[in-house]
Amino acid sequence: MGAPALWATRAMNEVYRELEHPADLWLEIRGDDPESLSEHALYALYASMVHLERVRPLEERTLQAQAGHLAGALRRLLAEALYLFDAEGYVAGAATVGLSAGEPGGPGAVALEARVWGEVFDPCRHERLSEIKAVTYHQLSAGPATEGGWRATVLLDV
Amino acid sequence: MNGADDSTSLERVGDVVWQIPMSGGMRVPGRVYADEELVASLRGDQSLDQVRNVAYLPGIQRYSMAMPDIHFGYGFPIGGVAAFSIEEGVVSPGGVGYDINCGVRLLATELRRPDLEGSIKRLVDQLFRDVPSGVGAHGAIRTLTRAEMEKLLVEGAGWAVKNGYGRPEDLERTEARGALPGADPTAVSERAYARGDDQVGTLGSGNHFLEIQVVDQVFDAGAARAYGLFEGQVTLMIHCGSRGFGYQVCDDYLGVMGEAAGRYSIELPDRQLACAPVESPEGRRYLAAMACAANYAWANRQMIMHLTEEALLRALSLGPRDLGLRLVYDVAHNIAKLEDHSVDGTVGRLCVHRKGATRAFGPGHPEVPETYREVGQPVLIPGDMGRASFVCRGAERAMEETFGSTCHGAGRVLSRSAALRRAKGRAIDRELAAQGILVRSQGRKTLAEEMPEAYKDVERVVSVMDRAGISPRVARLRPLGVIKG
Repeated sequence: MGAPALWATRAMNEVYRELEHPADLWLEIRGDDPESLSEHALYALYASMVHLERVRPLEERTLQAQAGHLAGALRRLLAEALYLFDAEGYVAGAATVGLSAGEPGGPGAVALEARVWGEVFDPCRHERLSEIKAVTYHQLSAGPATEGGWRATVLLDV
Repeated sequence: MNGADDSTSLERVGDVVWQIPMSGGMRVPGRVYADEELVASLRGDQSLDQVRNVAYLPGIQRYSMAMPDIHFGYGFPIGGVAAFSIEEGVVSPGGVGYDINCGVRLLATELRRPDLEGSIKRLVDQLFRDVPSGVGAHGAIRTLTRAEMEKLLVEGAGWAVKNGYGRPEDLERTEARGALPGADPTAVSERAYARGDDQVGTLGSGNHFLEIQVVDQVFDAGAARAYGLFEGQVTLMIHCGSRGFGYQVCDDYLGVMGEAAGRYSIELPDRQLACAPVESPEGRRYLAAMACAANYAWANRQMIMHLTEEALLRALSLGPRDLGLRLVYDVAHNIAKLEDHSVDGTVGRLCVHRKGATRAFGPGHPEVPETYREVGQPVLIPGDMGRASFVCRGAERAMEETFGSTCHGAGRVLSRSAALRRAKGRAIDRELAAQGILVRSQGRKTLAEEMPEAYKDVERVVSVMDRAGISPRVARLRPLGVIKG
């Protein structure tokens, strides 16, 4: 499969918003299902770090994360993306996410696999935004929303 | 889960000291340093519940404390100080924070304000070019090999000096001589190495900065003289930490400690207080990894000082002697350290967590450099980029009341999104230029998020600790030029 449409070419306004927090970035993310919720969470992370308009899908990478519940797996997925950005400068402009369920109640009950398309950050080409130190455990949640669809909250330490 | 069943109450026990009485599972009371206005702003704030929650932890000594720049953090509040017995107490990554050994370094010069007339812009531009800053900044020096990194992690600022980035006397004027003992490079993950091996000598982003300042008021002439500071003098301040390396160490060990707390049957009122006994394998290993990150940060600030000196010499066409750049002091404000303190008349070794709090050792303490020993340790408190920063001094009272600790900065008053909303349609750099402060930043967003009104007035915070007799003011420094990431 080739790269899906780049986030920069899609209407992404409704997929996440910033909640009030005194010092850091507290994000509320929405999706139709756990997979799109996870994809939108990746978008929210990258869009907080870099202006995505000029990110090209030059290189495909795979990110994997698992945990006992969706929120934990999502945090790990975002931590993987942050690590890749910090260690190799890799920034994604598009992603697809697949979810598989392991043994219920086990440490790998929820596994996420993201295929991401992007390139290495180039300060001449890309505009930097916030430096994210970590994807924290604080205010972390993910699950079905009472009003329909899926909702997650993640707090990024800036 | 919160340890509080109702809102945390405060009882005034001194001019600027407030007590949180013991309740629930608290092992000691809480203590908050604040004036009435700061206390009013804290009413209903979750950070007071966090002070209370920390008091639940095993082996905590005397009080769970908060400095006047207290605000909400993860587990421990920012501005929190807590000391634990080595035998029965715990160590917690949440009590240190993600940016391990984030800290401040103050450099003095022989220059006076008029010496920079007409050259501030050139100087700011040169510093902006020569000191890498911003999101993912790297490349101050070539990427270090694994063997070089391991040496740096053990030797800290000493590694930088040994490799030509500074002078041996810089180490005398750095907290812990720029290297915590017990650093074990094998306690650090591959990921931390990968995040940190090309970021030595970089400022980063967020609230980190490099500032050109002028000493605009001296409050304590004797201490200022001892520190080599005088009115009208040009100084430089560096505020940064252990970069991606430290963030990764914290993240790695939050996972380890989350499991360890359960294994040692430590009841946590908030899971972000995840911790392990100081003497446990997990506790020792975290302290060994944290020491690596602390030493990375000291090497980082030492490197930035070197890059700063080179930039000053180039921009001002001066010789080193005319510039007279020297280190006044370097302090950590996110760290856990094993220190000797007196509790109920007995001196013993404690594990002191300072998360957004600065060490403030008083006169005569053997860890204060000999040249400053008579007046006490220099305490460096950065403010926002439009107002001021302060030099204070550690007092004997800090040793008696706060395990030799004080505040660390202004603390935010606006969220980042509120600051962005308020900055809309404004040019923060031009507003600051109109006040005589030249700012260069890698990103407009950071500049807006970090605008002066996003912070409390640091003067108010510093005054509380001055009134408490913990860290009396020595001098105020006004910004002239600012490099932001």
